[in-house]
Amino acid sequence: MTQPRPVVFACRCVHVWVGDREVVKGVDLVVAPGEIHAIMGPNGSGKSSFANALMGHPAYTLEGQVELNGEDVSGLSPDEKARAGMFLAFQYPVAIPGVSVASFLRAALTAVRGREIPVREFRRELHARMEELEMDPAFAGRHLNDGFSGGEKKRLEILQLLMLRPRFALLDETDSGLDIDALKVVAAGINAAAREDVGMVLVTHYQRLLDHVQPHVVHVLVEGRIVRSGKPELARELEARGYDWLSRENGRA
Amino acid sequence: MSAEPVLVMPGLEVERISDARGEPAALRAMRRQAREVLAEMVLPDRARHLWRYTDPRLFVPHRESVGAVPTEVRADWVVNGSHSATALIAGGAVRELELADVARRAGVTVTDLHGADVEETLGSAVPPSHGFVEALNTAVWQGGVLVRVPAGVRLAAPIELQIVAGGSGSVATPRVLVLAGESSSFEIVENHLCGTLESSHVLGISELLVGPSAHVRHGLVQRWHGGVIGHLTVRARLARGAKAQLSLASFGGAVVKVDAGALLEGEGAEVETCGVAMGGNRQHLDHHTEHLHSAPRTRSHLDFKVALTQAAHSTYTGLIRIAESAGASEAYQENRNLLLSADARAETIPELEILTDDVRCSHGATVAPLDAEQLFYLLSRGLPPGQAQRLIVYGFLDQTLRRLPQTTRERIEALIAERLHSED
Repeated sequence: MTQPRPVVFACRCVHVWVGDREVVKGVDLVVAPGEIHAIMGPNGSGKSSFANALMGHPAYTLEGQVELNGEDVSGLSPDEKARAGMFLAFQYPVAIPGVSVASFLRAALTAVRGREIPVREFRRELHARMEELEMDPAFAGRHLNDGFSGGEKKRLEILQLLMLRPRFALLDETDSGLDIDALKVVAAGINAAAREDVGMVLVTHYQRLLDHVQPHVVHVLVEGRIVRSGKPELARELEARGYDWLSRENGRA
Repeated sequence: MSAEPVLVMPGLEVERISDARGEPAALRAMRRQAREVLAEMVLPDRARHLWRYTDPRLFVPHRESVGAVPTEVRADWVVNGSHSATALIAGGAVRELELADVARRAGVTVTDLHGADVEETLGSAVPPSHGFVEALNTAVWQGGVLVRVPAGVRLAAPIELQIVAGGSGSVATPRVLVLAGESSSFEIVENHLCGTLESSHVLGISELLVGPSAHVRHGLVQRWHGGVIGHLTVRARLARGAKAQLSLASFGGAVVKVDAGALLEGEGAEVETCGVAMGGNRQHLDHHTEHLHSAPRTRSHLDFKVALTQAAHSTYTGLIRIAESAGASEAYQENRNLLLSADARAETIPELEILTDDVRCSHGATVAPLDAEQLFYLLSRGLPPGQAQRLIVYGFLDQTLRRLPQTTRERIEALIAERLHSED
């Protein structure tokens, strides 16, 4: 007797278009709670398009089935998806001048939890999480991503991941632009989220994040298709051999 | 070239107003002189920037309503918080006047302008020759206050004026004169509002004479209802080392023109003008600012933000003039416009007249729709679209608001919240 494997996120036959150009050509993915999937691939393989389209970015058209906790969410707007427990950590988080990190986080937390969070409770939680990520408390008073360094922006994305506690998160190149210390902090945040049962898809170009985060599965995306899925060793193989051999195999297939 | 029609407004019985109010001879003479200036005037050339986007004829009220003895209008007289002084101007007269003991003891006066001795001061920042609206106001104004803060007096609490537009078909012509003595310091807020929901004209003038080393923080918070066609002119004259903060906030009205600015006449004078305009429906908002530097080492800073919904239209023209005599001066001007609907429109036109090389001067202007990436970022965090848009608009305005003096800022923030929530 085997228990059915719990599933937090599943997509089937996902196609993504930018205008009339198809950039993702039929992707299937099933993620269990606390599971980390890495999607690797060369530049232009459709990794970021896949992540952004799943969240509902208006620049993309998505077709296919998308389920969160067994519910079809493909017809939901981005804010509805977020409130249903989905999260996207951005590759390039946008600056919103005049809006403080704290006021924004409190508004987001209120939205996803569906209730007002008392100020003291909010502050306590915020400061605990910021400490975990080695962030200066003064950070909370700064304007959202305004004048932030690359590392600060990525830390803020992870802070949001830990505060908003989604069921499923897409992390788009969260490792890019980080020095080794920041990379370790970000990796620790991702591991903490996994321990809290967040299912995650890490979109990444390099192996280096995977030195600190142990994925359960590695998928290789080439020209909009998953051409191989395998154990973490696959990531090391890619690091050693590059993507070309897979592209060639894929071309032959 | 077809000439614009002459502004015909003959036989204005300005003496009747002086008689009714028992005005001193100097005021009588000033009204008669303004009437003569007006009689010579033609409507402005629409090719000029100042009137390119707004038809001046809209501000010419019906002849019969000009100078009419106003009828009583209802006005809510609610002023919260502690004040140095408060005044209510409604129905062409000063209805309420309160002066806190501490201000009275310091020699502050807030008086009815009709009986005041203002020969040297009234009209010195905004003379009748300024334009037809100003000439008309000077000839027929009714309902005015004179605020005088003696030298060295620093007021912790603000002075707040409620200025109420008239009833149907009426023309309100309020007039405010603020005299700030040497090294005085205070905040004064004018709240322009309506007592009724009927259409009317408002043609108002506010003059601030800021003495040496004085620091005046002036707020103009306009929240007329949708039937008002209004024109407000504000000028501050700054003496040596004087500092003025001029804050503008435009929310209401059908057609609104505001002409605000400062004359930097004394060495080392400084002005900071910050403004926020929010338009909706089919509102037409036209703002003009002028910073005229005529003395050395003067500084001006302007930050004006506009957010528009529905089919609102905004025009901003900003003039910086630095005279040859104003060496080592600095001027900065920025106007940003946020369009929240496809039908909203905004124009922004900076004008620089720099007559000396010895200056630092820069300006920036943008007109842009709501940023799709900012919106998506907030949506992806669960904020519903309305709230996400509000947060972006708050953020857009916040950098300007945080520069404002406290009372003005509180008044404006409340109106922004009211306006943004009514959009849902």
